Amino acid sequence: MSLRPTRAWHPYAMLAPTVIVLGLFFLLPLALAFHQSFHAWDLLTPPRPVGLANYRALWASGELVEIAARTLGYGVLVVSFSLSFGLGLALLLDREGRLYAFVRGAVFSAYVVSWVAVALLWLWLLDPQSGLVARAARGVGLPGVDWLGDPDLVLFTLAGVTVWKITGYAMVCFLAGLQDIPRSVLEAAALDGATPWLRFRRIVWPLLRPTAAFVGTTSLILSFQAFDVVRVMTQGGPVRASTIFVYAIYEQVFVNLRVGRASALTVVFFVMLVGLTALQLRVWQKRSNGRVET
Amino acid sequence: MITRRSLSRRELAAGLAGLFASACDTPRRAPGEVAFWFSYGGNNRKVLLELVARFNREQSAVRVLPTFQGDYFEGLVKLRTGLFVAAVPTVTHVVGEVLPYLAEAGVLEPLDEIGDDVVADLEPSLSQRGTFDGAAPHPLWALPFNRSTPIAFFNRPLFDSLGLSPPRTWAELRDVADRARVEGDRARWGFECPVDWWFWTALVGQAGGGLVERGALTLGGEAGVRALELWQRMVHEDRTMRPPPGRDFNAWEASNGDFLAGRAAMIWTSTAFVRYLEDNASFAVGAAPLPGDVRRAVPTGGTFFVMPRGLPPAEREAGRAFLRWMMAPAQASEWARRTGYMPVTTRARGELEASGFFREHPNFRVAVDQLEVAQRWPWSASLFRTQREAVQPRLEAAVARKEDARAVLAAARAASEAP
Repeated sequence: MSLRPTRAWHPYAMLAPTVIVLGLFFLLPLALAFHQSFHAWDLLTPPRPVGLANYRALWASGELVEIAARTLGYGVLVVSFSLSFGLGLALLLDREGRLYAFVRGAVFSAYVVSWVAVALLWLWLLDPQSGLVARAARGVGLPGVDWLGDPDLVLFTLAGVTVWKITGYAMVCFLAGLQDIPRSVLEAAALDGATPWLRFRRIVWPLLRPTAAFVGTTSLILSFQAFDVVRVMTQGGPVRASTIFVYAIYEQVFVNLRVGRASALTVVFFVMLVGLTALQLRVWQKRSNGRVET
Repeated sequence: MITRRSLSRRELAAGLAGLFASACDTPRRAPGEVAFWFSYGGNNRKVLLELVARFNREQSAVRVLPTFQGDYFEGLVKLRTGLFVAAVPTVTHVVGEVLPYLAEAGVLEPLDEIGDDVVADLEPSLSQRGTFDGAAPHPLWALPFNRSTPIAFFNRPLFDSLGLSPPRTWAELRDVADRARVEGDRARWGFECPVDWWFWTALVGQAGGGLVERGALTLGGEAGVRALELWQRMVHEDRTMRPPPGRDFNAWEASNGDFLAGRAAMIWTSTAFVRYLEDNASFAVGAAPLPGDVRRAVPTGGTFFVMPRGLPPAEREAGRAFLRWMMAPAQASEWARRTGYMPVTTRARGELEASGFFREHPNFRVAVDQLEVAQRWPWSASLFRTQREAVQPRLEAAVARKEDARAVLAAARAASEAP
């Protein structure tokens, strides 16, 4: 059977839907954002060209660095904790029996609940006066903590809520990874006298590494896209301590009426994501090259 | 039947273009239909929808279709987006601070044709001309709808048991807040107030300042600093005031919630919540005017009805018919009576006086009486940006971190003047 198309335009026709969707909803908006980032525009009055003023204002006010640092910090917290808890839970719950199945289901259930519902639930739980967490703390004589009202704490709280929601997903990925590891290999190692820790380090973890890379990448993307949880729980506050990238972009357009400033933030965010992706690809490439050589 | 051959590439392209064009086209409304975008939740929404339903029942020429668009600021975003893509409502309502911006951007339809009788009946200090300094030469861009002032609400039985009266000065405010506070397990704040531009503006006025002085944006100068320092002192030194968490109306809801739950003895919020707080409190709610410092002063707040520019003449007339009906004494007084907002026409106010409503419900009268010390906003297209971008975010930081008030306001002035 020949793979040659019957008409020269057939491949283009096949590609067209993807190209149109990508072009309309990704490339065109990106090009528009790039163009708008050199303008001052409020959607109502005509745009005025301002050169690099939007970038300069973001840089000079220190806003850009603060938002980037906050977003990265939040991403690191979310990725590291969801990976660790997901792996820990997968190892604990990779057993047969109804109880384990129930706990696996319970942990995963948070992942399928909508972000807004999760945010509202935690808003209620963390209320410093009447929330369940504050009451429990008071019950055992601990001082009350303003989880969402303390600027030094709020990013950790939001990361905690995000980790709570997505750990179930990490756990399911790791469970799938664990079930791919042949039991016979682990049994043989056990017969040879390998301790559980040694079996984990030498067999389980190396075989789970691709899963970890996948979970790490998807959680990082998810943490960079975080918006609902910020919008519902803190609106970027207190004192902008939880204003991360996507929320900052929303705030510039919809609160401050500055389309140009928001577009400049979008462009910087895009460059940052491209940089991170390139870094990640490089690391993977090095690793796979290393594997081929050994 | 369409054969494969008959659907040429050109026809396909034309079809797609038509599809996009129709998706982007201005929505066409049936004759007599009025699209009304509004921004209320809770009781105020219920009252408004009942009024609209009554209007639709009472006549058949105009049909109002109300659509909820989120809070004021979410509604404003949708209005701006709608203006950009020419998909606007017939009538909507916007906060006062944004009115000069929309008017100067040329996106509003003048409402002078509403009728001289309606314009003459508007409560002077709540109308466009009475609300803004320098609005006199402009056409009538807006009609007052839900207008308010900030007032103090206090837990009356608690105040009685502690022998407290609503404070009349800043010194009394600090003292009362201190005496009403309880620490420990059953903690209660003496005072709670959203760290919001509106209440800060009230304090600036009370300290003797204005946002614009002698034609320059000063943000109150020394009065602005003193206003901010009062909050800082009550939060950090006296530890009697809780700055509620959340931004915008989230903070307002938080302080209402704390008051109703007995966690705050006294709050400052809008007169708009009189009915809500009275209906939902398990105790008798007292309302009082805000205290003064070197003088008494309050800003006005709430929203104005506006009509976007560029609608067909028949739709404009239908919109005006609805607005005329809402401005009539029966509706304007009912809206005030059932919510807590102020009557926006002199005849509506007269009706409430004559029926004895204010005598029976003194809490509803507080804001109306306070109008005698109401201050005007400057008619400036940048007022909204000064509020949302320059001042509001900095107030929160200044109070939470006890930053130097003078430096904070200097930064806000600089941000407000930046292009």
